[in-house]
Amino acid sequence: MASEDARYRETSQFQAWSFSPAQLAAMREKTNAIARQRIAERMLASASNPPTSNNTSHANTPDPSGHGTPNPTENSTPTLPDFLKPEEEALLVSFYVSELLRAADHLGVPDEVRATATVFFRRFFLTNSIMTYPPQEMILVALFVGSKAEGRFPRIIEFQQKFNTKQDILAGEFLLCQGNRFNFEVRHPFRALMGATMELRSYGDIDEQRIIAAEKRAHEILLFSPLMTDAYFHYTPSQIMFAALSLADRGLAERLIQETFHFVPPTTNNDNTPAVTPLPGLENPGIGRKEGGSKGITTNDERAAIVGPGIRDKVMGTIEACRNMLSTELPERKSHWTSEAIFKSQIRPVRKKLTKCRDPDRWNLSELQRQRREAGVRRADSEERPAASNGAKDAAIFGGDLSADAPEKKRRKVDGNGLEDPFGGPL
Amino acid sequence: MANSPLVARPTDALQPPKSLPPSSGGTPSGGLPRSARGQQIAALARPTMDLMEQMNEDEKNKYIKGKKLGEGTYANVYLGHSRLDSSTQVAIKKIKVQKEYQDGIAPDAIREMKYLQKLRGHANIIILHSVFSSKDQNLNLVLEYLPLGDLEMLIRDVDHVRYGAADIKAWMGMLTRAIWWCHDNYVLHRDIKPNNLLIAADGEVKLADFGLARSFADPGVRMTANVITRWYRPPELLFGARHYSGAVDIWSVGLVFAELIIRAPYLPGNSEVEQIALICREIGTPTEENWPGVTQLKEYTVPSDVVPVAGKDKYMGRFGAVGSDGVDLLTKTLVLDPRKRITAREMLEHRWWKADPKPTPKHDLPKKTAGAEEKLAADLKRRNGMVEDDDVRGSKVARKLDFGAAR
Repeated sequence: MASEDARYRETSQFQAWSFSPAQLAAMREKTNAIARQRIAERMLASASNPPTSNNTSHANTPDPSGHGTPNPTENSTPTLPDFLKPEEEALLVSFYVSELLRAADHLGVPDEVRATATVFFRRFFLTNSIMTYPPQEMILVALFVGSKAEGRFPRIIEFQQKFNTKQDILAGEFLLCQGNRFNFEVRHPFRALMGATMELRSYGDIDEQRIIAAEKRAHEILLFSPLMTDAYFHYTPSQIMFAALSLADRGLAERLIQETFHFVPPTTNNDNTPAVTPLPGLENPGIGRKEGGSKGITTNDERAAIVGPGIRDKVMGTIEACRNMLSTELPERKSHWTSEAIFKSQIRPVRKKLTKCRDPDRWNLSELQRQRREAGVRRADSEERPAASNGAKDAAIFGGDLSADAPEKKRRKVDGNGLEDPFGGPL
Repeated sequence: MANSPLVARPTDALQPPKSLPPSSGGTPSGGLPRSARGQQIAALARPTMDLMEQMNEDEKNKYIKGKKLGEGTYANVYLGHSRLDSSTQVAIKKIKVQKEYQDGIAPDAIREMKYLQKLRGHANIIILHSVFSSKDQNLNLVLEYLPLGDLEMLIRDVDHVRYGAADIKAWMGMLTRAIWWCHDNYVLHRDIKPNNLLIAADGEVKLADFGLARSFADPGVRMTANVITRWYRPPELLFGARHYSGAVDIWSVGLVFAELIIRAPYLPGNSEVEQIALICREIGTPTEENWPGVTQLKEYTVPSDVVPVAGKDKYMGRFGAVGSDGVDLLTKTLVLDPRKRITAREMLEHRWWKADPKPTPKHDLPKKTAGAEEKLAADLKRRNGMVEDDDVRGSKVARKLDFGAAR
């Protein structure tokens, strides 16, 4: 197999974020099940439980001053709400992705930012339930972090002005990064499409207008269809590109495949075909890793394994499957997702359900972040100075946020404990 | 596989690269699909944690934090080791929340994570083993522990450290391979200098600090000209070029090369104007003849007395210690016109590497252990891409990075 493939397999996109459909479905079910359980626990806890001092350092510390999260079932034996099913979560994720894409249009971001933000959003709601964190806010968080990941560093004030939200974006940033396991590199099919059209032009016998039209349509598809579906979880960027091109002009996509997998088992030994033609649109093979690789390929079997008909058929099958997936969400479906009728009949009922079953402790991002920061400061304090500290006393009296001051810094300097101290230890 | 649309598993004719760290090394991408099930089951046993939090906790628990190596305004650095294998030491860089940066997680932190993940698997790039968040929502980067300091401290310690042409060749080979790997992955480092070249226990040099890195830009996309510490900044950036290439890094590599030979910074300008003047004096004045189009660059200004481009003989006088072939390579990295500057790949194919003397085997390279740990800590806790005011160089490097603008 070609070395570009080997290199793609080293990316976090492949190693951490590529799944079979069965794996993906299992993850979503598991995420949903955990969320139900946790939310039920938290609802019961916040409904019946007076503040205690031995809770974990998580943010579900009940706020003694009473202005924490709203408590829907105060003082009564709570009845648990009807939770969202995995398929309802999936519907909402799709709806909010369509909203994200509209927000991206509103913001006027480059293609890569739009796509990266969407991928971040989808990944986040793979290991987090939509009942746990607010998707409406996470849209903007994803756009904010997506911009950063693509090397544009927006001012938060731009987002404030355009979307009229404030601290929630910053409060959700860290969560979203964590939900993406800090994998900031996402590979997209846009440049691949440019490469493919250059390759098509190099054949010299294809009408230029046809190429232009195909590229335009395929690009339009890439900006919507793979983002609205699970394509990024199942297919490589080049496969997605080929699928989009195939939807735009199947003949051109097939021509490219035929030209690439050109190897025909020879009838004579006198075979002059060049060793390897790299897949169009993919990176050039690097010299270091190529050594002992494609340079050394000489036998017909090895060639057939790379550019032969067996591989070609497999690739075409994969592209066809990806094409089918993309065809369920062609760009024309934009109007479906913005339709008032659809919203009323399909989205609103689920959203109503969601307002009743969402996580009482984690829905408010700003409040959650404030509590976590405080918990972190308290924890850092107790970690650095095991005995009852002035800082802790101060915190008890003054409400907690004093330890970031100068005395704390001084204390850290005389640190000397902490050897072999597993961080993450209990409070 | 035939019935699964999942990306096909390798059935390679090509061997997978051998330099990869084991996938169990704990990179954040260390295999969610394979391990997720176990983590999920574990998660169910631990109340109040969501799946995401549990995965983070598992990542964190792979390491045991030890003594603090250094403390800075940007980050604290701790020694640590793997829980499973206590002989695997790591440096844990805990990035502090930046009060002065109001827009969330700072760009340098994002860049460092992104590009170290992207470039991992090369022997001359510092390994990012893992990233996790602590409970107070601070970022923790688990980095390769490189106990022998950096190249800068070897260069500076003229009284105690002796090295020769074969050692320079070995170090330059490692640096050149590192930068080739960056460019082959479409990444510009944009801050190459001796104190970003850290040294592993076995003598291998590793490129660190990717806080200013970026991907190659698409044609027409502007990049910032305000990158690379001044002494190592190429003329096109000093002239305000907004479209540039890997050649900017090559210039820095050339200046590290020169510095290794003369054991002092070659072009230590105290301001951008002075930097340009030094380049003109030592290397030659950029003109339309030697660099077509240079006068069109926005901030093109050069001293009025035009100095012709230095020939090889001028360099031989000062840099002859690396021999004629070595000087040839040096001059090719310091070509004014970036389009004519040598590329990383061409550098690797240069005849100097094969000429005598052979490069020193890494285990036999000069070492300096005294102060090395402190130097590592100083390098890691430093704000990425920044030179601290109290840096030995003392020069105030005003780097107003305009993060808001398109680049």
